[in-house]
Amino acid sequence: MRYETVIGLEVHVELATDSKIFCSCANRSGDEQNSHVCPACCGMPGMLPVTNKRAVDLGMTAGMMLNCHINRTTTFDKKSYYYPDLPGSYQTTQWFSPVAVNGTVRIETENGPKDIRVKQIHMEEDAGKLVHDTLSNTTLVDFNRTSVPLIEIVSQPDLSSADEVVAYLERLRSLLRFAKVSECRMELGTMRCDVNLSIRPEGSDKLGVRTEMKNMNSISAIRRAIAYEVDRHIDAIENGTEELVQETRRWDDEKGMSFAMRNKETAGDYRYFPDPNVMPIVIDDEWYGRIQGTLPPFPEVKKQQLIDQGLTEYDADLLTQSRVLCDCYDAAFAASGLAKECANWIATNCLSILKKNGQTMDDLEIDGDRLGQLVKLVGDGVVSNANAKKILEVMFEEDVDPKAYAEANDMIVSNDTDAVMDVIRGIVAANEKDANDFRGGNEKAINPLFGKCMKELKGNCAPQQLREMLIACIMEG
Amino acid sequence: MNKEILVRLEKLNQLRLTEEQEAETLAFFAEREADMAIVDAVDTQEVERMVHVMPLENVLREDRAIEPFEREALQAGAPAAEDGYWQVPRTVD
Repeated sequence: MRYETVIGLEVHVELATDSKIFCSCANRSGDEQNSHVCPACCGMPGMLPVTNKRAVDLGMTAGMMLNCHINRTTTFDKKSYYYPDLPGSYQTTQWFSPVAVNGTVRIETENGPKDIRVKQIHMEEDAGKLVHDTLSNTTLVDFNRTSVPLIEIVSQPDLSSADEVVAYLERLRSLLRFAKVSECRMELGTMRCDVNLSIRPEGSDKLGVRTEMKNMNSISAIRRAIAYEVDRHIDAIENGTEELVQETRRWDDEKGMSFAMRNKETAGDYRYFPDPNVMPIVIDDEWYGRIQGTLPPFPEVKKQQLIDQGLTEYDADLLTQSRVLCDCYDAAFAASGLAKECANWIATNCLSILKKNGQTMDDLEIDGDRLGQLVKLVGDGVVSNANAKKILEVMFEEDVDPKAYAEANDMIVSNDTDAVMDVIRGIVAANEKDANDFRGGNEKAINPLFGKCMKELKGNCAPQQLREMLIACIMEG
Repeated sequence: MNKEILVRLEKLNQLRLTEEQEAETLAFFAEREADMAIVDAVDTQEVERMVHVMPLENVLREDRAIEPFEREALQAGAPAAEDGYWQVPRTVD
């Protein structure tokens, strides 16, 4: 018998806020354990949560980017379950009136475009992290992540293969990153995915027994997990190897197997009820319009705009991977009018400095307008390429005006050709052997002379001009 | 509420009730269900749905992180803490 796979995804995305969703502790990962905690996010009795407005803004933004209807009255509810990473023994989430419902995400498949329906996007707080200590045979709890704002994007079961799942996740990632909702970095856990999967005979409209694999955080692991689960379900149905039950499973990527974690709770088990401590949110027309006004174009639309400006597909693709890069480019281009040059400076020099600093493209903080001024200084021959790179390094450290910095640090290209020729003559006279070798046909012999001249001139000479003047000087001699 | 649901809730909440406690709990819920039946009988068709019990909305704060609470003070009442972590009996995922 032939089977078809039915997959729905629940994707958790950490929102890019500075503080947590219901208290003012920092939303920052990687710091010392329990260094961003307070009585509210530790679930101490009597504490009152206060909702972070920016988190709601980002929830709405995500909804709009995914073509959802935004609920103008959205509320928070308590979802009760017991686990040590949840200090209040309940999670504040949205059950009865989530921020966004009924959206679509279009993906490309081998059979053409396909719309995946989004059932809802709800906001909620994250849980803490558990560390299992084998020495003391206890569990250690870190609440830094507790109450970090999340959205959960719940799809309808419209996906039918691992390829479609990957296309859907990549599309979500692209849209949410571009709208600055989240960094969506699976390797850091800022984007995680639960895979709900069942199989059914091809052509059947009845859903099979569904299992859920929790907290998948790599694309390759998701592919392997889906392949394994499909085989396991088929084996169970055709060969009776096991009884399929609705349950939550854990994927062990090293073993290449999934393992039962627990019987799947049903909604009733969670005893959802309105959280009396978190007041409803009413989104008026002004608020709705303000968020709508901040939405970026879809990445592919922006990419085409960049290509129309003269960028290569490669550069346009790179810039639209990050709204931060794109905004920087837009400002630089507006200041200089030099499309390709601005893209090159971002794609090579800026990314190179970020990489050296151990940062990502979303960490680019330099002023795009000033980057454009710098690119123009190079384009106009006012500052040499080498010196411009030094200025760029400074711009990563402090907010400097590139021209003022170049003037203050003797980095302006000299227009005084007599002075340049004096330097060249001195270098040629002091390095007669290299000059003779060049005259004798060894073209490479000019390179050390060129380097010495440039050093003496502190880089303040247009390279082509210097080379021409150097050759003229050598041949005169 | 019945015995089967109660056993399931015990399992989910990691509780172990004695037979006597189970009987008490079932009796308690039976009384509450009777109370709810009285409420359910009220005709609410003309009553506007209440979104929330408090007459407040949009109680929001700006997204600004502040200095964290002192960890040691928070952990002062913890039964066990180690190296800045709260320490609890071993929990298996």
